[in-house]
Amino acid sequence: MPHASGYFRTTYGQDTRLVDTRTQRVAAGAFICALIALPWLANPFVLDLANQTLLAVVGAVALMLLTGFAGQISLGHAGLMAAGAFCTGILSKELGASIWLTLPASAATGALLGVIFGLPSLRLRGLYLAVSTLALHFIVIYLGHEYETRRGFSTGIVIDPPRVFGWELVDGRAWYVVFLIAAGGTVLIALNWLRSRTGRAWRALHGREAVAEALGIHVPLYKLLAFVASSTLTAMLGCLFAYYRGFVSGEAFSLFLSIQYVAMVIIGGMGSIAGAVMGAVFVTLFPYGIEWLVGLVSEALPEMRGLQNAVFAINYAAFGLVMILFLVFEPQGLAGIWRRVQAYFLMWPFKQKPLSGGGK
Amino acid sequence: MNPTVRLRQSTAPRVLCARARAEPARIALRAKRLGLYEERTWRGLAVLVARVANGLAAIGVAKGDRVAIMGDACEEWLVCDLAAQALGAITYGIYPTASMAEVEHQMRDGGAKVFVAENQEYVDKILPLADALPQLASIIVIDTNAMFSYDDVRLTPYAALVDGNARGGAVDDGADDAFLAGLEVRAAALHPDDPAFIVYTSGTTGAPKGALVSHGRHLAGAANMVAHYPLLDEAGLRTVVFLPLCHVLGRDLAITLPLIAGVVPHFGESVEDLATTLHEVAPDFLVLVPRYLQKFAAQVLIGVTNTSPAKRRVHQAAMRVGRRFARARWDRGPVSSPLLSLAYAACRLLSFKPVLSKLGFDRLRLVISGGAALSPETAAFWQILGVNVCEVYGQTEEAGAIITGQRGPFPRPGNVGTLAQGWELKLDPENGEILLKGDHVFDGYWNQPEASAEAWRDGWLATGDVGAWDDAQPGHLKLVDRARDFIVTSGGKTLSPSFIENILRGSPYIGEAMVIGHARKYLTALIEIDADTVADWARANDVSYTGFTSLTAEVRVVDLIGAEIARANTELARVEQIKQFRILPKALDPEEEGEPVTPTRKLKRALMITRFEALVEAMYDDNEERALADAAGATLDA
Repeated sequence: MPHASGYFRTTYGQDTRLVDTRTQRVAAGAFICALIALPWLANPFVLDLANQTLLAVVGAVALMLLTGFAGQISLGHAGLMAAGAFCTGILSKELGASIWLTLPASAATGALLGVIFGLPSLRLRGLYLAVSTLALHFIVIYLGHEYETRRGFSTGIVIDPPRVFGWELVDGRAWYVVFLIAAGGTVLIALNWLRSRTGRAWRALHGREAVAEALGIHVPLYKLLAFVASSTLTAMLGCLFAYYRGFVSGEAFSLFLSIQYVAMVIIGGMGSIAGAVMGAVFVTLFPYGIEWLVGLVSEALPEMRGLQNAVFAINYAAFGLVMILFLVFEPQGLAGIWRRVQAYFLMWPFKQKPLSGGGK
Repeated sequence: MNPTVRLRQSTAPRVLCARARAEPARIALRAKRLGLYEERTWRGLAVLVARVANGLAAIGVAKGDRVAIMGDACEEWLVCDLAAQALGAITYGIYPTASMAEVEHQMRDGGAKVFVAENQEYVDKILPLADALPQLASIIVIDTNAMFSYDDVRLTPYAALVDGNARGGAVDDGADDAFLAGLEVRAAALHPDDPAFIVYTSGTTGAPKGALVSHGRHLAGAANMVAHYPLLDEAGLRTVVFLPLCHVLGRDLAITLPLIAGVVPHFGESVEDLATTLHEVAPDFLVLVPRYLQKFAAQVLIGVTNTSPAKRRVHQAAMRVGRRFARARWDRGPVSSPLLSLAYAACRLLSFKPVLSKLGFDRLRLVISGGAALSPETAAFWQILGVNVCEVYGQTEEAGAIITGQRGPFPRPGNVGTLAQGWELKLDPENGEILLKGDHVFDGYWNQPEASAEAWRDGWLATGDVGAWDDAQPGHLKLVDRARDFIVTSGGKTLSPSFIENILRGSPYIGEAMVIGHARKYLTALIEIDADTVADWARANDVSYTGFTSLTAEVRVVDLIGAEIARANTELARVEQIKQFRILPKALDPEEEGEPVTPTRKLKRALMITRFEALVEAMYDDNEERALADAAGATLDA
C-alpha cells in the first residue's frame, strides 16, 4: 500500500512502481540530482572516495543477493573480484583486448566460478559452506600469483586505461559516471530480480528449503542461480576495479576484503538492498572517518599525538567493535534503523496504525 | 432552463443516455476488482445498463413490476437499479443487514418479481422464503462464488444478463451503438411521473413503510442538494460509496448525484475494506452517517492516547490552537487574525494533515452528515482538524431532497442549517413539529393509503420531528427530537433524549446510548460500549477479558463508562443528568431476529425497554434510598 493517501491503481503496472507517491518522487529526484552534481563540486580526494563507495555498492548488492536474500553464506567474494580482475589483466596483456571483451569475459568467468563453487552449497550449509567458499578465494589468488610469476609480472599486471566510444577513461569524473551507471544498474537489476519469481524463490529457500521445495521451487537450480547471479556481478566489479586502479595484483584481494563485504551486508541489514547500499557507504567511509577523528584528537590534545602512528590498529579495533555492536544491538542493521526512523514519521502522530476501519 | 425544472421533466435512464452521448469517454465511476480500480465511462455504463435491461426484459420484467435488490453497495447494484428503472419497473433495496423477518415483510409488501442478490449470503436469505412468495419469479446473483451447489431454477447469474444469454441463448455481442439506441428507446417510453423506486423507512416504531417516488420528482429533489452545495457540480469530484444504496441518501450519492452533477463514485473491493478504500481514493466529497464520523473520531483519539509522549504533546498543542481557530472561524467567518491563521496552518501541516491522510480524509472539501443527529462535539472535532463537516436534515419522504443543510464552509455545529431550495417550512405552534410544503414531497406510501393520508396535515407534510429556530443564527433550523420520543418525567419535565444521547455518544467508549425516563423519577441510560475502543483500553490497562460480554461485565469497564457518564453529566442540567446506567451485555445486531435496532442501527425504543426490561427495572427499583436521597436533594436545592 502506498505511504500517502489518494494513490489508487488502475493497472497492475502502477503496483510495481519503485517510486510511487509524490514525496518519493521528489526525494528520488533530489537524490539523483545530488549524485549527478557531486563530481563537479567535489575535490579529487572526495571524488575518489565516491568512486570507491560506488564500487563497493556493486559488490555489497551482489553479496546481499546471495547472503541476505538467498541465505547462502560466502567468504569467496574477494576471490571472485580477483577472478574478474585477473581475467581482465590477462586478456588485455595477452591479447590487447578492449573493455568490450574483458567485461563479458569477466562476467563469464564469474558465472562459471559461481556454478563450480555453488555446487558445494547443494550439500553444505553454514560454517561448512563458508569454508568451501574460502577455498575459492585461495585457489583464485594462487592461480593469479602463478600467472604473475610465470609471465614475469611478479609486482602485478599493469593495464592501460580503457577506451569507451573514443573516450579514454582516466579522469576521476569519467570513472564516476561509469561507476554510477554500474551501481545504479546493479541496484535496479537486483530490485527487479527480487520482485520476480527468482527473487521470491530465493527468499523462500532462505526461509526453509523443505518448504520452498514443497512450494514447487527447484531448490538446487535456484541456489546455483543465486551463486551465478552474485558471482557474475562480482566478477564484473573486479573488471572495473582493475581498470580503475590500472593494476592487478593478488595482494589487493585479501581475505580482509571478503570480511569487509560481509560486514557491509551485516551492518547494512540482511535482506535489504537499501541496507547493502548503506552498508557499502558506511564500511567504505568508516576508516576515513576514524582517521579524521584521530586527527582531531591529536590536534586538540598534543600529548595524544602518538595516536597518529597507531591509526591502523585503531581502525581495525574500531571496525571490530562496530561489527560486534551491530550484531548485538541492531541485527537489522542500518536498514532497520532507517525503517524505524521512517515509520516514526510515517505514523506521525500515531505510534502504530490505529485505523482499522469504520466497521459496519 | 433551471436544472430543477428540467430534471423534473426527465428520468434517470434518460439522463444516463444523454450523458453517454454528450461525454462518452468521461469516467462515470470506478469499482475496485482484484486490486484495480476499473474505470467505467458514461458510454460504457449506459451500454452495460442497456444490456442488463435487455436481460431483465428477457426474464419477463415489464413496466410496473417490482425488482428488489439486496446487498452491499457495488457497481452491479446501481446497474441493476438503472436497468430496471429503464424498463419502467419499480426498484427497491433491502438493507444488507435486514433480518429474515424484515426481508420477508419487504418482499411481501413490495411484491417483487425479481430479487437481485449480491452474493450467496443473500441467496441464502431469500431461498427459504422463495416458495412462499408467489410473485417472485427470478433471483439474480451478482457474485456467483460459492454458488456451485445451488440448482434452483429461479437462479440466474448477473453475468448472463450482461451477456444476453439469460435464457440459455447465445451470447449477444451486438454493437454498443445498438444497445445505446435501444436504451434510448426504452428511456423515451418512460414518463417523469411514473413511479421509479420505493425506499423503505427504517421502521423504528413499526414495520417499515415504503415511500414511493417518481422519476422526475427524485431527480429534481436531488438537484436541490446540488443547488445547496454548488461544489457538487464540479466535474471529477471523487467520492467513496459504502453506505447502503437502499437508503435514499445512499441512492443520492451513488446513483443520482453522479448523473446530475460532477460526483464520481468509487466502490471498494468490499464494504468491509472501507478504511483501505478511503485511503486509496482520498475522496473530495463524502456523505456519511454520524456513526462513522463518531467511530473515526474515536479511533483518532485512541491513536493519539496510545502514541509516544512527544508526538502526543505536539498533537495536543496543535489541538489547542485548532480549537481557538475553529471558534474564531465560527464567530467571524474567515479568520481575520493573520497570526492565528499562520499558527493554524502550521498545526495543520504538523499534526492534522498527517492524521487526515491516514484516514484518506486529507483532500476532503465537503462532508455531508445526514440520516441521524450528529453530535456537535464530533462535528467540532472534525472541523478543528480541518474537515468541512456540514449537517443536513432530510427524510425518506422527501424523495432524495434535503430539507435543510448547513451551507458552510465550516459551519458552527449545533443546527442543521438553512432551508434548501423548493421548500416552505413552518413549525407547528402547538408542539414545534416541523411542517413542510414543497415540490419534492414523495408520492405516497406503497400499499398504505391510510398512512399516506396521516402524513399530511392541512396540506402540510408532518415530518414527525420537532424543531426550533436557532436564536444565535437567524434562519438556521435546530432539530430537537422525534415528536414521539420526548420523555416526560414523573416530575413533569419534558426532555429530549436524543440531545442527552448525543452528549453521551461524544465519548469514544460509548457506541450507542438510550436514555430512559418517561414517567419515571429520574433519567437512566442503557449503554452499548464501542467494542473496538473499549477492548483497546482494556488491553492498555491490563484488564483481561474473553469477549464482548465479559468486557461489559468487567468492573473497571463499568467504572470507565461511569466516569464518561459523570463527565457528560457536567454538561447537562440537573434534571437531564443520568442517575443510573447499565451496559448492554451484547452488541446490538440488526441481522438477528427481534433485535431492537433497525438495519440502519437506529434504536427501536419501545422494544429496547421490553427487551432489556430486567436491566431497566434494576436501575429504578434496586435502590430506593438513592431515589429518596435524590428527591431530598432536589428539595434542598430548590
